[in-house]
Amino acid sequence: MGVAKEAVRVTASGVPDIAMSECESDGTLPAQQTRRKVLPVVEGLTLAVAILLPLVLQDYLTVFATRVIILSLFALSFDLVWGYAGIMSFGQALFFGSAGYGVALLARDLEITAIFLVLPAAALIGLIFSLLLGGFLLLGRYPSSVIFVALGTLTGSYAADRLARGWYYLGGQNGIPSISPMTLGSAEITEGPVYYYLALGILVVVYLLCRFLVRSQFGLALAGLRENEQRIAFFGYKAQHLKAIVFAVGGAIAGLAGGLYAFHEGFVWPNMLGVVFSTQVVLYVLFGGSGTLIGAVIGAIIIEGVSFYLSDNYRDVWPIILGVLLLLVILFRPLGLISFVLGERERVGSFGRKPKGRRHAAP
Amino acid sequence: MFSDHNHLSRRRFLSGLAVTSGALATGVGSWVVRPDWANAAEGPIKVGIATDLTGPIAYAGTADANVAKMVIKEINDAGGLLSRPIELYIEDTASNESVAVGNVRKLIQRDKVDMVLGGITSSMRNAIKDPIVARGKTLYIYPQLYEGKECTPYLFCTGPTPAQQCDEFIPWLIKNGGKKFALPSANYVWPHTLNVYARKVIEANGGEVVFEEYYPLDQVDFSATVNRVISNKVDVVFNTVIPPGVGPFFKQLYEAGFLKNGGRLACVYYDENTLNINQANEIEGLASCLDYFKTLTKDDPVSAKIQAAYDKDYPGKILFAAGSAATGTYRGLKLWEAAVKEAGKVDRDAVAAALDHAKIAEGPGGPAEMVPGKRHCKMKMYTAVAKGGNYEIVGRSDGLVDPKEC
Amino acid sequence: MVQGMASAFVAAFEILSFGAIIVLVVLGLGIIASMMGIFNFAQGEFVLLGAYITYLAYSRGLPIWVGMAAAPFLVGALGFVLEGLIIRRFYAAPIVAMLGTYALGLIIRESVRGLIGGFYLTVPEPIGGSIDIGTFHISAWRFTIIVVTLLVMVACYLLLSRTTFGLRVRATLENPALARASGISTPMIYGTTFAFGAALAGLAGALIVPVFSLFADLGIRFLIQGFVAVMVGGVGSFIGPVAGAGVIGTLSAALPWIMAPVIADILVFVLAIVFIKFRPQGLLSGKGV
Repeated sequence: MGVAKEAVRVTASGVPDIAMSECESDGTLPAQQTRRKVLPVVEGLTLAVAILLPLVLQDYLTVFATRVIILSLFALSFDLVWGYAGIMSFGQALFFGSAGYGVALLARDLEITAIFLVLPAAALIGLIFSLLLGGFLLLGRYPSSVIFVALGTLTGSYAADRLARGWYYLGGQNGIPSISPMTLGSAEITEGPVYYYLALGILVVVYLLCRFLVRSQFGLALAGLRENEQRIAFFGYKAQHLKAIVFAVGGAIAGLAGGLYAFHEGFVWPNMLGVVFSTQVVLYVLFGGSGTLIGAVIGAIIIEGVSFYLSDNYRDVWPIILGVLLLLVILFRPLGLISFVLGERERVGSFGRKPKGRRHAAP
Repeated sequence: MFSDHNHLSRRRFLSGLAVTSGALATGVGSWVVRPDWANAAEGPIKVGIATDLTGPIAYAGTADANVAKMVIKEINDAGGLLSRPIELYIEDTASNESVAVGNVRKLIQRDKVDMVLGGITSSMRNAIKDPIVARGKTLYIYPQLYEGKECTPYLFCTGPTPAQQCDEFIPWLIKNGGKKFALPSANYVWPHTLNVYARKVIEANGGEVVFEEYYPLDQVDFSATVNRVISNKVDVVFNTVIPPGVGPFFKQLYEAGFLKNGGRLACVYYDENTLNINQANEIEGLASCLDYFKTLTKDDPVSAKIQAAYDKDYPGKILFAAGSAATGTYRGLKLWEAAVKEAGKVDRDAVAAALDHAKIAEGPGGPAEMVPGKRHCKMKMYTAVAKGGNYEIVGRSDGLVDPKEC
Repeated sequence: MVQGMASAFVAAFEILSFGAIIVLVVLGLGIIASMMGIFNFAQGEFVLLGAYITYLAYSRGLPIWVGMAAAPFLVGALGFVLEGLIIRRFYAAPIVAMLGTYALGLIIRESVRGLIGGFYLTVPEPIGGSIDIGTFHISAWRFTIIVVTLLVMVACYLLLSRTTFGLRVRATLENPALARASGISTPMIYGTTFAFGAALAGLAGALIVPVFSLFADLGIRFLIQGFVAVMVGGVGSFIGPVAGAGVIGTLSAALPWIMAPVIADILVFVLAIVFIKFRPQGLLSGKGV
């Protein structure tokens, strides 16, 4: 896919159809285009609501919404890894938390809080850890089983949690409190509408990058990987390398989210690295719908939003309800809530060939 | 969005207990206790309580919330503070720092409280002090015994410090236990910092620290430690392991015959609540040093009055005890009341200036005084020993003990 | 010299008792994983249920051993029901099974939390006191746990290798399609196996509760150790997970004697993962008993 562009076209039924995705290569309208595309509508709606939200919310709710945005970014990283590459990473929090701790240490020990230093640092930390872990778990003479990767990432997250809990330099069980706010020049970026729009902006950019990635030739190879790993290997693609690349990108995104989270909340603690947090993001994506990118965002928004509302009134019962809801989704709607509106075809996406000159080579 | 309206909630921790008059809850959010009369011209004074109503130390947090409700009701019944009623807003920190920060923000930004009291563990205090004091520009009172070294402006501590818990306790332990100490500890900031101070006092009094170790918080198998205690013939186990590990640890020590061979257990956070973690014979002779024990009600009328009032309003399993910050909560609220009366208004700087040297003549365990400039509190300290599942006082401080902080 | 030997004996005993506890927990996990190819993320919560049932009986005034005897049966029954209603749908997709059983475990854990609150509850040991060896004491109850674990393992082995039921189970393990074609009711076998795995976890919980005290997050701790143990030992057989549990349990108990507990904690897992990477089939691969 090239650049996301708006194209207004008239469908066979005469209704204008605004699409934010690529257009077909030869200009004709294939049969499935007669149906309205739902995905861009969903994306557009979500974006619109997100932009308008701080204008109607009270301050402390905007702060809550910012947190949800950052968690959506985190969820996005998992959707990329699981929904598009089939890697069950039960330990995404490892990258999220390590980046969080990394920037907390930068702020505490080296007093570096400049946004253009800490956010790239956060992404970099996530990238490095995921390259290391992914390389170990995924590469090797024999392809690793899915269960092994799941268990390996789970153990990684658990071990990191235990390590942070026991290492006094990292604050032990208490974590690192009172992180100074992020700075842009001499101005502090504190929680509230400013931080909200910053996080939202980053989410939109990363989202578009992911869309770009999964609709490209690379994405096509990933789709093949998802369908039949052995066959794609016979085609000459190095399946394990593809997976490792996606895992690394996912780790970088998770790291970026972790950095944002650390500065927003003002403290980091071992739970950010641990198993509960890792599985949280798995649940967001499952709930919303894996393999759609927007599903991850919607899942995060819904679960966090409902948690927030219910946890006040039904504190004891809410986690049980959450468990039951998730079980129901897993049993009866494994493709997630988004499958109520999104067709299967649209979910996989189209990877149409572009007119000459606009495409880049496949990896 | 959150308009005020009368709305009875089904909060479980109030079920079965006497519901205070006018207890309401707003639609989404905290408990609000609103007095029946709200006719003061300036509007009510708002107090926020942020404590662990759920989680492993829910027994402590719930006690603190109960004490707050009791004290605020007393003040309101007597005419309020500065002739204005006090409204109480209670938020759950849920033993989860992430949730806590969000809920504390509600107190500051939505409810706009004039003061926040709460936090039990040091990690909770560290997580919420920033939103309250720095970003929220609100006064914060921390009521629990802790490791000291908290010198943030506008943050006042009304629980015992290491100096108060060790200076007289450790000499007593050496006399009534022996010279060889072991320091098995949970691995987080409170034990680390407390042990530094304890070691100083132990060695200054002729004792010896045989070993000092730190364990992950959920470790439940202590065979290596127990073996080290027995083989080194340790006299006093100065324990800072916390639940869930402390129960199995004491049990394993008992089974290895530590108490039978004359060993002494010591644990400075042990109060009436934690007595139930082990069977009575497993902790026989355990010594603790706190600002209050229930057995004081036998000879101190003020303590008896406070204990009776609490037991009447909140009978049941949630106890009024010193290790759960309940006494610190009482002390903190009364000191704050005195400070507000002196300052004549509720804005932060005025109250902080008055609170700096506030005193109360009546508190659980005795009177209390803030040390000017230090934001910590002098109080009477008591050494008690567990006998047959109850405490027996074996030592009292001569007067108010200095916290020696900041 | 005698002192040293006695001390080493005590150390070995403690390590053994801790290892026995892990073995009990892992046995059920391993059987389910070997038989049905799914990892039961709710296994830790079955342990929790076993502990809770024991506590419940005790708090109602019944003798503790009544609760302990009842726990495996009750948890097993629950396991049977859950298998029929829910778990059965996951066999085709092991990954979804992990998530589904995680959700199930979440439900169980939070329900128990709702019932007992955040408290840490204790139960006294049915057989208290200690056995004296010279000047050293061994906990009588921990000794009992080791004995019970050995008995259970022997019983399992005999059941699987000597009985007709065991024969059917092994057949289903080796070749489900052929077993079904031979007239063995595979769903029944699966249901019973899952129930059995759950019952073992329930038993482990019941035996552990006097030692560890009951609290809502009791299960999580054993879950991770359990998984790693099963993979180290090898999925597909009966003895594999047991071996894995033995190794992991022993390492977890022994390492803190020679290094800082925090490092020991993590080292066990790191070593285990590295081991699995280079020997994916585990220590003892192969199907059947």
